[in-house]
Amino acid sequence: MTDVTDVTDVTVEETEAAAPPVSSLRFLGIWLLLGAQSFGGGSVVLAMIRRAAVEEYGWISETEFNRDWALIQLAPGINLIALTILIGRRVLGRKGVALALAGLILPSAFLTVLLTALYVRFSGRAEVRAALRGVLPVTVGLGLRTAWLMALPLLRGSARESQGSFVLSLFLLLGSGAAAVVWVGLPVVLLLCGAGAIAALHRLLRTAAGGRAEGL
Amino acid sequence: MSDPLLYFWFFVKASLFSSGGTGNLPSLHADLITAGFATESQFAESLTIGQLAPGPNGLWSVSLGYLTGGWGGAALALIAALLPPFLILAVERLYRRIESHPAVEGFVRGLSLAIVGVFVVILGRLLLSGAGGMDYRSLLLVLLAIGLASIRRVPIFAIIALAGGAGILLYR
Repeated sequence: MTDVTDVTDVTVEETEAAAPPVSSLRFLGIWLLLGAQSFGGGSVVLAMIRRAAVEEYGWISETEFNRDWALIQLAPGINLIALTILIGRRVLGRKGVALALAGLILPSAFLTVLLTALYVRFSGRAEVRAALRGVLPVTVGLGLRTAWLMALPLLRGSARESQGSFVLSLFLLLGSGAAAVVWVGLPVVLLLCGAGAIAALHRLLRTAAGGRAEGL
Repeated sequence: MSDPLLYFWFFVKASLFSSGGTGNLPSLHADLITAGFATESQFAESLTIGQLAPGPNGLWSVSLGYLTGGWGGAALALIAALLPPFLILAVERLYRRIESHPAVEGFVRGLSLAIVGVFVVILGRLLLSGAGGMDYRSLLLVLLAIGLASIRRVPIFAIIALAGGAGILLYR
């Protein structure tokens, strides 16, 4: 893995030093287009970015894209923004970061506010109220599916490790939900970090034990 | 919004302790409601609008910003969403040194599991607190959404549009 990273670094430096693979204006234009037509949420946007960056324009290789994708799971906040930062930097350095982010975010943020403003303006109407009453449960349903899709790889990953990991993961998943129901005033960040700390500790202990007894 | 700095911090904090998408919901929900900056229904509304709007799902908080603080609130929410992902640059540098430290992996997994756990609880609360509360029709719509979203060919936007139509038919 170190070798791959090193090779990637050299590539980045070379890219920055040599003639840029794309002009600033065109780069911004491509990201603006991505931002404006990315209806349908995260997975759609991800697929569009991948197609543009890897297949259509060849800014980065598939391996680089996959490594970036794995890395952004560790960064806080919106993953796609972190991904955009990495791709923008690879292609045009700091300027690339600014251009790619502006392109991806400004149209979608503006349309989000516009939709909200329209909602505020027309929320008094009976049809709008009724329509939104239908949309809310659907939003919840989509959210539940997202929750399921988020939990599944985590549970699968821990099940592959050991039974203990799997039980701990289940406990953290259900326990945090139960804590949120029962303990109303509980600071959520505390709950989240507590769960993270428990899992980190468990992983450290497991690694230490695994070092002594192989195949645990 | 009586205290813009605190308001901004709540959004930054929520983004800082989330891993994208609607992962910032639990923290924002707790902070903004306790501080009286937002109501339960504003959360339901902005989440819904966030589904309709283009771009990353995490931008639903911009809609929440607009509902609770107008254009200023939307701008603050957007900046707050943009800042934490820049830590990816530090993560990348660190990653080269420690590759994948087991404690880091463990922490991320525990954090993500807890986010999902709390997330589901909040979704339940939103469903109960929505206009008119929960009835068999809304439960049916929840199941319908899960089913339709599981079919890869059906775009989310179409599902939302269908839901709007169903709402007019069912609740008008």
